[in-house]
Amino acid sequence: MRFLLAVLVGRLIRFAGRFSGRATNLPGQVALRICPDFLGRLRFDGKIIAVTGSNGKTTTTNIIAHTLRQAGYTVAINEEGSNLTAGVATTLLSRCTLGGRMPQDFVVLEVDERYSPLIFREMTPDIFVVTNLFRDQVVRNGNPDIVFEKIESAIAPSVLLVLNGDDPISQRLAPRNPRVYFGMERTDRSFDRSQFLTHDCKVCPKCFHRLGYRFYHYNHIGGFHCDFCGYQTPPLDFAADHVDFAAGRFQINGMPARVTYRTIFHFMNTTAAVAACVQAGLSLERAIAGAATFSVSRVRYDEMDLCGRKGVLMLTKQNSASLDQSISFALEQPEEKIVVLYVNNVLYTENKDISWLYDVTFERLRGRVNSIVCSGNRACDIGVRLRLGGFAPEEYQVVEDLGRIKDAVGQTGGAVYILAASAFGDEDGILEALK
Amino acid sequence: MKEIVILHLYGDTLDLYGDFFNVTCITSRLDQLGIPCRVIAANLGEPFDPMAADLIYLGHGKARNLAAVAGHFLPFGGRMREAVEADKLVLCTGSSRLLFGQSFQTFDGREQPGIGLFDYTAIETGQVFTGDVVAKAAFDPDLTTYGFINRTAHLVGKNTHPLFRVIQGPGDGEAPDGLEGTFYHNFFGTWQMGPLLARNPGFLQEILRRLLGPEVPLNYDDALEQKALRLTLGEFKLS
Repeated sequence: MRFLLAVLVGRLIRFAGRFSGRATNLPGQVALRICPDFLGRLRFDGKIIAVTGSNGKTTTTNIIAHTLRQAGYTVAINEEGSNLTAGVATTLLSRCTLGGRMPQDFVVLEVDERYSPLIFREMTPDIFVVTNLFRDQVVRNGNPDIVFEKIESAIAPSVLLVLNGDDPISQRLAPRNPRVYFGMERTDRSFDRSQFLTHDCKVCPKCFHRLGYRFYHYNHIGGFHCDFCGYQTPPLDFAADHVDFAAGRFQINGMPARVTYRTIFHFMNTTAAVAACVQAGLSLERAIAGAATFSVSRVRYDEMDLCGRKGVLMLTKQNSASLDQSISFALEQPEEKIVVLYVNNVLYTENKDISWLYDVTFERLRGRVNSIVCSGNRACDIGVRLRLGGFAPEEYQVVEDLGRIKDAVGQTGGAVYILAASAFGDEDGILEALK
Repeated sequence: MKEIVILHLYGDTLDLYGDFFNVTCITSRLDQLGIPCRVIAANLGEPFDPMAADLIYLGHGKARNLAAVAGHFLPFGGRMREAVEADKLVLCTGSSRLLFGQSFQTFDGREQPGIGLFDYTAIETGQVFTGDVVAKAAFDPDLTTYGFINRTAHLVGKNTHPLFRVIQGPGDGEAPDGLEGTFYHNFFGTWQMGPLLARNPGFLQEILRRLLGPEVPLNYDDALEQKALRLTLGEFKLS
């Protein structure tokens, strides 16, 4: 009875919210208040696929849902950012019948790594994809070990895991569970030595001896091996190979595949999504064909005109590996450019910590961009970081006042790459100031 | 001037959130001052001599990593204690400070002995505890510092040698007594993690003065660092 009431009230709130233009987690919050085990009482006709990880979980979730829909299945998916308990509840109550049944063939859920124990206590996924684990958003997450333990505690014995074979951290999750590994063979952008400051696996997570790598894709992701205990990248069940970054083409298990957004993250996410879809019952061919037509969310990447110059906006959270990838993407574009770094306090908590900026390899920008403009309320702190990275004073400008940023950028030449490393939503400030 | 030797202990294993930049802060200023310096690394399984370095640095590590180095560190405890008593300069940020106490709980509930230089012990909570810390430094009451704490353990026991008097934010334990960190001879230990010396130019000056001696003038420009700290502190509503 409470359950049905929760469904009804949640739906009414969501309905009202649509008219007031406020799409929030409120419906789910209220439903959980009325019926605390709301998630556990839902009945599913189809399979549940959950996705978590430090980087790429939103994109991977979206590729999986897109691919399943392309194959003709009905899918319920949570919208970007709604990955905490209330967000998941909101998604499900808005897609279930009034009797509390999920009629879709698949429910695909992005799940916040810290919230997976709470969510999975009520509903067990059939397939669980973990994209990778990194140091990420220190204010929320502490460190990768803590996140690892939280996720591991959430995994029931029946869950089929889809894991990144090139990630020494997340690959070790729940060793007794059935699993498949995805990963990527060496590419022409692989490195023999680590190019990044952030490396969460300098030592073997099993025996703490120095971990060896045949090659690195990025940060601690790559073909690894421990000479002491034998821990290594396992044989891959879904191996991306023959990656052609310029053309967006590659192969998965020898079958031709394509991506529209040509970053290594995206090749990896696509491979993870294809692996999950095959485990869900699609043929490899069909999964690859469906994933190929996916286009990346404009919320995270956008191009615009800025006073006659090309502008590119890339968003990251307080996550060094993610900002490293934005830097890689900017450097891969052959045009002349400047970089605007926009860093604010941590959203919600207002913490002023910028430790994670010291894990970002800004040093790669030296001599390769016309200028770096440091902005946001941590502008001076970015300047201090760049100075310690060996940048000369003429290579960067610190602009604390957003009102002055248009002038500062106006004195430079080339495309404007805005790397906004804060929380999604507050990038409007910098875009307004530059227009 | 003679070469300065910095010993970075367990840099591979105790390595979170950019705290090795504390070493970079020191070496880059020494470079600017024209003073030769060398950083030597000692990791798990490798021997080291505390007396062979002018400054020893240890950073913040994950709980499992800290437990892994503790066993290796223990046999060096006697030499380490002697070095600190003989005014050796030591800087510990984050969890590495636990290695110097009586004992700490490991992630799997074991009681791991420390080298016993200080009285504190640590309890593992399994919960992440984070926060901004604004504090006054014990070595200079006029110096206000900013730092960030990210820990799962907390200290118990009376803090008889605090490094900071906390104005805002968490101290050593869950029930803050307003004290944080350890300052004893030339030992500087704090829960505050990450690039502490980059964010606190006054703290860096203190370390350099102790490293080089008061007679060496610190002729470098840290106006940007001072301004960054001033702006950060200005965002707090301090009474």
